[in-house]
Amino acid sequence: MTDALETLRHDVRAWLEANAPKDWRATCTSHEGFLATQRGWFAKLVEGGYAVPHWPAEWPGGGQGLAEQKVLYEELARADTPRLLLSFMSTYHAASTLFEWGSAEQQAKYIPRILEGEIWCQGFSEPNAGSDLAAVRTRAERRGDVYVVNGQKVWSTMGQFADKCLLLVRTRTQGAKQAGLTYLLLDLKAKGVTARPIHQIHGDEEFAELFLDDVEIPVADRLGDEGQGWAVAQSTLLSERGLTLLELSARMRGALWRIADLIRETGREDDAGILRDFGRLATRIDAACALADQFLANRIAGHERVGDASLVKLTYSRTLRDFTSLGLRLAGLEAQYHEPIVFGGGMETGNWMADFMNSYAWTIAGGSDEVQRNIISERLLGMPREPKTWTLAGDAA
Amino acid sequence: MSTDRAELRDATRKAFGAAGLAPALDTSWNTVTEMGALMMAVPEDLGGLGLGREAVGVIHTELGRTLAPGPAIAQMLVIEALCAADGLAGRQDLLDRAIAGEIMTASLARADAWGALTAVPDADRASHVLVVGEGRVSLVPLEGAAITARETWDRTRRLFDVRPTADGLVLAQGAAATALAGRLEAQMLLALAGDCLGGADAILELTIEYLGTRRQFDRPLALFQALKHRVADMKTWLSAAEALFWNRATDAAAGVAELGALKAHAASVYRAITEDAVQLHGGIGLTMEHHCHLFLKRATLNATLGGDADYWEEQAGRAALRKAAS
Ligand SMILES: Cc1cc2nc3c(=O)[nH]c(=O)nc-3n(C[C@H](O)[C@H](O)[C@H](O)COP(=O)(O)OP(=O)(O)OC[C@H]3O[C@@H](n4cnc5c(N)ncnc54)[C@H](O)[C@@H]3O)c2cc1C
Repeated sequence: MTDALETLRHDVRAWLEANAPKDWRATCTSHEGFLATQRGWFAKLVEGGYAVPHWPAEWPGGGQGLAEQKVLYEELARADTPRLLLSFMSTYHAASTLFEWGSAEQQAKYIPRILEGEIWCQGFSEPNAGSDLAAVRTRAERRGDVYVVNGQKVWSTMGQFADKCLLLVRTRTQGAKQAGLTYLLLDLKAKGVTARPIHQIHGDEEFAELFLDDVEIPVADRLGDEGQGWAVAQSTLLSERGLTLLELSARMRGALWRIADLIRETGREDDAGILRDFGRLATRIDAACALADQFLANRIAGHERVGDASLVKLTYSRTLRDFTSLGLRLAGLEAQYHEPIVFGGGMETGNWMADFMNSYAWTIAGGSDEVQRNIISERLLGMPREPKTWTLAGDAA
Repeated sequence: MSTDRAELRDATRKAFGAAGLAPALDTSWNTVTEMGALMMAVPEDLGGLGLGREAVGVIHTELGRTLAPGPAIAQMLVIEALCAADGLAGRQDLLDRAIAGEIMTASLARADAWGALTAVPDADRASHVLVVGEGRVSLVPLEGAAITARETWDRTRRLFDVRPTADGLVLAQGAAATALAGRLEAQMLLALAGDCLGGADAILELTIEYLGTRRQFDRPLALFQALKHRVADMKTWLSAAEALFWNRATDAAAGVAELGALKAHAASVYRAITEDAVQLHGGIGLTMEHHCHLFLKRATLNATLGGDADYWEEQAGRAALRKAAS
């Protein structure tokens, strides 16, 4: 570690000591408390210049190198700060899609508001378009300067709390499924939008259904051209599969102390079997971190291959399952007694059963592990693609 | 990948690749010496290229890819030890001979006990053996030593038990010897990890190729998703292990414990990939004619050389516990 990074680590640690929310587990037992804590913590991070280190340098708080970002994320985990569950989609998915596809006006309109706390969600999935994302049916019909949108979205993380939504819609039903998609920026306060939270298996409501009933979206709020939605969506997904994982894997490494604490609390510091499992996990986390680093370095250098992000995501999701499983195992029977989860803790609440269940968010969301394997085998390893013998059901027109 | 590394890799792959899979010892050793592999890490003022650990990493991954026989890992340990032996009379001559390919070997077992050495590659052809003992590292001539060949399952490696009789030249003593022993162990672990990842990459590639040509049920096996998913998993774990390998290979602060954990990880990835490779090849994978078994056997040997996963993972666990407390 260079001196500059050591200094940064020291500065971040000192800043966190003064600014990190200490009582967030207590205040996050209700949704109101969760929202207030998350908003307050995000605002603090913006003020400190630590909220969006991964953004380009021209934006406040942006322009940090990979090594600097990692130090920051490790320290955030070490200091037991809550993950930015509420603004994660805004600062990653929305921002990176806007950076890549947004016009100057669109960037100027939306990006500063993210730093002011505007919350975005992602409206891609539908009841019948999950892994087969190109099958989305939510219809958008152009009428003059607006699109009129009808349909239903599902599993929108933070959808019930969000202000804006990255919306993938169908503007054409003929031809290739992908070619008929368009990408819109939806104001969730618009008339005709209903958001309904969905209960997850750990008892919390982190995602929602969105019902869209004759919702009008200005044509000016379209990202890319009509029919280009699939390409724009790939940016969002790439961000979800690659970019976010520098933070998440560094945080996982920073959170290893949770397991170390458990090993000590349960008096197993000399249990060779446990030590091996812990050592193996620590090494795998280092490997996941190294892969995420390499991915981002290649991406910055313009050497990214289609499918590289899938390697990163699959490594992370499996390693996270290992991490939470080991915690769950060490916590023993205690972990089986129900403790309500602390909203917004993300993957490292310390409630092992909840953390374990939450690890499925990464093996299912953002393209399931199986979908990543398809991409890796077909795109990176050049194996043949499934023959397409099916057409979109009901797609007679 | 840095351009230097990519260039070196391409050149090395070309050189080693020409000899084919599991080439004859002489062919392989000639290539190793002719392409300058043994001088890569030697400082320039001692007649080497001064390229450091990353270059060594490239060499061993490429040797692993082709299942090259020979004592390259052991020889590099001797060379490293000679480089460290500042005051040794006649050092340059020994070093020159070692770099030129005169075999000087060392044990690849984890703990060398003075007196008896195990897992010493190609000792029957060697002039010297490196002995790392308590407080002393020495280079011992092999004339008169008891050398017992141990036939290995892994046909690509020839290992011997060696009982040296002479005391040999002292390369380091006391604290310097302890420090050197640590560096040598680290270097061995890195080399073994590289060998694992090169081999894993090669057999994965061969397996994917096979799945693309072998047809059953009127289609190539590569169309079956159950098989595609398995190779995708292998590729994923391999990619992560490779990233870790280059990360630690280029990290001057990475010590024995980190490299031991790396070696354990790389060996388990190698082993898993070779096991699946045998399975995915079906009946042919279980024959001596086919290459699968060569990789499988080298993988299981690599898993035990230099200390096994049980040992290194436990060390890694202890290190992680200590680190989490700081
Ligand atoms: C916690 C969480 C948060 C989410 N957040 C969002 C969000 O914010 N916005 C959003 O738009 N969506 C979100 N999603 C939705 C997510 O993208 C989908 O759940 C996911 O893509 C899988 O789709 P599905 O649920 O319809 O499952 P299905 O596609 O029905 O899959 C069911 C099973 O079949 C497997 N499968 C499917 N197709 C194949 C295939 N071709 N080959 C092999 N196996 C296959 C899957 O891997 C899975 O195991 C979220 C999901 C979760 C769990």
